Amino acid sequence: MFYRRAGLRHTRYQDERQLFPLAFDRGLVLTVLAFLIAAPLLLDRLWLTGYLLPWLIWTSAALGLNLLMGWAGQIHLGYGAVMGIGAYAGVHLVRFGVPLEIAMIAGGIMSAGIGTVFGAAALRMKGIYLAMATLAMQFIVDFVISHNAAISGGTLATLQVPAVRFLGVPLTSDWATYYFALFVCFVITLFMLNVKRTSFGRALAALREKDYAAQILGVSTFRYKLMAFWVSSFIGGVVGTVLAVAYLRAVSPDQFHLELSIQILAMIIVGGLGSVLGPFFGTALILFAPIVLNNLLGSVAATFGLDLPIDMRAHLPLLAYGLLVIGFLLYEPLGLAKLYANFRNYMLVWPFRHAQR
Amino acid sequence: MSIDRRSFIAGTAAVAAQFGFASRVYAEDKIVRFTIAQDFTRIYTFVTSEYNQGQRDYFALVNERGGVGGYKIVADVTDHANDLPRAIEAYERGKREGAVLIDPLSTPVARALVPRALEDKINMITAYSGRSDAADGTAFPYVLPLSINYWTQAGLIIENFKKTEKGSLKGKKIVFVHIDTPFGKEPLSILQVLAQKEGFELLTFPYTPPGNDQSAIWPQVRRARPDFVIFWGAGVGQTVALTEAIRNGLPMDRVSSSVWLSESDMDVVGRDAAKGVMKVEPCVGGREPKVIKDILAEVVAKGKGAGPEAKVGTAYYNYGVQMGALMVEGVRLAAAKAPNGPVTGPWLNDGLRSITNFTAEGLLPPTTVTREDHQGGGMGRIARWDGAKFVPVTDWFAANQDVVWSEIKKNSETFKTTGK
Repeated sequence: MFYRRAGLRHTRYQDERQLFPLAFDRGLVLTVLAFLIAAPLLLDRLWLTGYLLPWLIWTSAALGLNLLMGWAGQIHLGYGAVMGIGAYAGVHLVRFGVPLEIAMIAGGIMSAGIGTVFGAAALRMKGIYLAMATLAMQFIVDFVISHNAAISGGTLATLQVPAVRFLGVPLTSDWATYYFALFVCFVITLFMLNVKRTSFGRALAALREKDYAAQILGVSTFRYKLMAFWVSSFIGGVVGTVLAVAYLRAVSPDQFHLELSIQILAMIIVGGLGSVLGPFFGTALILFAPIVLNNLLGSVAATFGLDLPIDMRAHLPLLAYGLLVIGFLLYEPLGLAKLYANFRNYMLVWPFRHAQR
Repeated sequence: MSIDRRSFIAGTAAVAAQFGFASRVYAEDKIVRFTIAQDFTRIYTFVTSEYNQGQRDYFALVNERGGVGGYKIVADVTDHANDLPRAIEAYERGKREGAVLIDPLSTPVARALVPRALEDKINMITAYSGRSDAADGTAFPYVLPLSINYWTQAGLIIENFKKTEKGSLKGKKIVFVHIDTPFGKEPLSILQVLAQKEGFELLTFPYTPPGNDQSAIWPQVRRARPDFVIFWGAGVGQTVALTEAIRNGLPMDRVSSSVWLSESDMDVVGRDAAKGVMKVEPCVGGREPKVIKDILAEVVAKGKGAGPEAKVGTAYYNYGVQMGALMVEGVRLAAAKAPNGPVTGPWLNDGLRSITNFTAEGLLPPTTVTREDHQGGGMGRIARWDGAKFVPVTDWFAANQDVVWSEIKKNSETFKTTGK
C-alpha cells in the first residue's frame, strides 16, 4: 500500500541499479535527511549537542569499522586507537595552523598508514588471532601516545583544540559543529552505499566469504585485505579528527582506549554487520539506551517517590541495558538493521500477509 | 523472525511509553539547582558512592534547616559512568533545567567540559580531579577545584618528610611509585623541581595500569633502600601498592600517599598491617567535626540519610561534605550579595569566588577562594593510620606553594594562548 511496487518496470540498467529503486524509500530517505538538516531549527540544544551530534560522529566511525568487519570480514579490536591516531594528528596539525580540511585528510592518511601496517597481520592471520594482533595495536598506540609528552601535550596530557574553520565557516556555534558532523557522516554514508556496487565492494565480499576461493577467482587477497584496512582506517582517522574538533574539543589519551574500540564494535554487531543502516541503529542503542534508561528510572523514582539507594539507581539501568542488548541479539542475531528489514518486508505487502517472491 | 500485528503494536506502545515519563516539573520557586553527574559504575565506583553520600547528606542538612539565604538546594544525581557522551548529555540537560553548577568528579569528563563550562558560564567543581592548572582563576574563571591539587599534595608530603628529617632532605633518597597514566605522572614535575631545590635523590617506578600486579616493582624499591616512599594511584592500585610495600618490609611510617587512601582501602590491606602509613588529609576525617555530628543527628537519625550509616565519617564521605559545604557557602555569599538573584552561573560564581576563611565549623582548613586562586589557599595536613583511624600528625599547613604556582602558571599560560 505504501511502497507501490506494482507496475514498476525498469527499462534501463541505471534505473535497476539506483540506490533506492522504490519511490517510497527515496521519499523516506529524503524526509530523514530534511529532518536532520532542519534539526537545529526544530530541536533545542540538548537534543542537538547531547544526542544528534554524538550519534552522527559515532555512526560515521561505526560505518568505517563496518567496512572492514562487515564487508571484508576482518576483525579489528583496535579501532579506537585508529581514531586516536587521526585525532592526534589532526589536532596537532590544526594547532600548527594547518587548515582543518587538510588536517582531517592528513589525520586520515596517518591513521591509514599505521592502521595498514598493523592490518598486514591479516595477511597471515584470521579470526581470533587477528583480533589479538589488532588488540596489540590498541595497546601499543595507547602506550606511545601517553608516553610521548610531545604527542599527548605535556604534564596534564591534554591538547586543547583551537578555534577552527571548515570551508570558511568558524566551528564555534552548535549549528556549525552539527552541520560539519552531518556533512562528514553524509559523505561517508554515501560512500558506503556505493561501495556495494563497485568491484572493490564485491572483492571485499568475496574475501569475506572465503579468502582463498577469492584468490582462485582472481581477486588478489594481498591487495584487497590491505586496501580494506587502508580505507577503513582512513575513515577512522578522519572521524577521529571530527570527534576531537566538533565534540571533545580537548583530546587526552584516555578518550581512545579499548573502551571506545569495544563500544564501536558493539554498535556494528548490534546494528548489523555489513549493513549501512545498521550502524545508525546500533549507535543509537549503544550510546543512548543507558542515558534514556537512567533518566527514565530517575523520573519514575521521582514520580512515585521511590527512595532507591544511589548504587541501585545507577546499576539498574546498566542491567536493563545489558538485557536489552542480549535480548535484541537473541531475538534477531543479524542486528537491528534486519529487524527494520523485516518490518519493511511486512509493510511492502501490507495489508496482505505474504509477499510473493 | 517475522513481525506480526500484535508484536508491532506492543513494540510501538513500549516506545511511546518511554517518552511519556520524560518530563518533570518542580513547583518550588526559590531553588539553586546543581547537576551531580558522577561515575558510580565504571572506574571510581565506591569512591563516588561515599563522596556523593556525604554531599547529599550535607544538602539535606541545609534544606532541613530551611535552606541557605532563602534558597533550597536541588541536586540532580545521575550516573555518567566516566563516558563522555553520557556526561555531556547530563551537562546539557542540567543546563536546560537551569543548573548553575556541575560536579563531575572525573578527570576525563572535566577535561572535555572545560571549554563548554567556560563558554556557558556554568560553575564546574573539579575536586581532586580535572586540570591542576585550573587553580589559576584568571585563566579558568568557571572551573573551580576548591581543593588542593596533586602538585600541592606532593609539596605537602615532601615538606612533612623534611620535618621528619629535622629540616633537611639533603642526600636523602625518595622513591616515587606511580601508576603509569597522565594522572600518575602529574606530580613528577613538582617532585623534580623539589629534588633540585632540597637536594634529595628522586627515583621513580611506574607500574602499568590498572595496577593489580606490582610484584615486579616493589623488590626494586626495597633494593634502592629509600629513606621515604610516596605511592600514587587510585582504586585497586592503591591497595596493591600498600600490600606490596608491607610484604617487602618497607617501614610504614616512612610511606605516604595522596588524598586517595581511605578506611575501605585499609580493610583490604589489613588494618593492623598498614599501621603507620601516611596520607594527605584535605579535611578532618571521622565523626568528630560538628557538621558530621549535626548530619548524624538531624539527617541520618531521621532516616533521611542518602546511604548506609556506617559510611558516615569515612574519608571520602567527609570529602563530599567538604565540597558540599563549599558549594553551599558559595550560594550563601551569592544570596547575600544579590538576594533576589536571578540564579545564574555568574551569580553563583561571584559567591564561590568570594569564600573567605571558611572552615565549615572546623571541618576544613581555613579556605579562601579568590578570583586568582581557585585552589582555596593550598592548606592540608598529613595523617597517619593507627590501625583504626587516621590521626593527624601535623596541623593545617601550606608548603612549597611558590613551586606549585609557577607550575600552575606555566600550564595555564599555555592554555590561555593556545586553548581559545
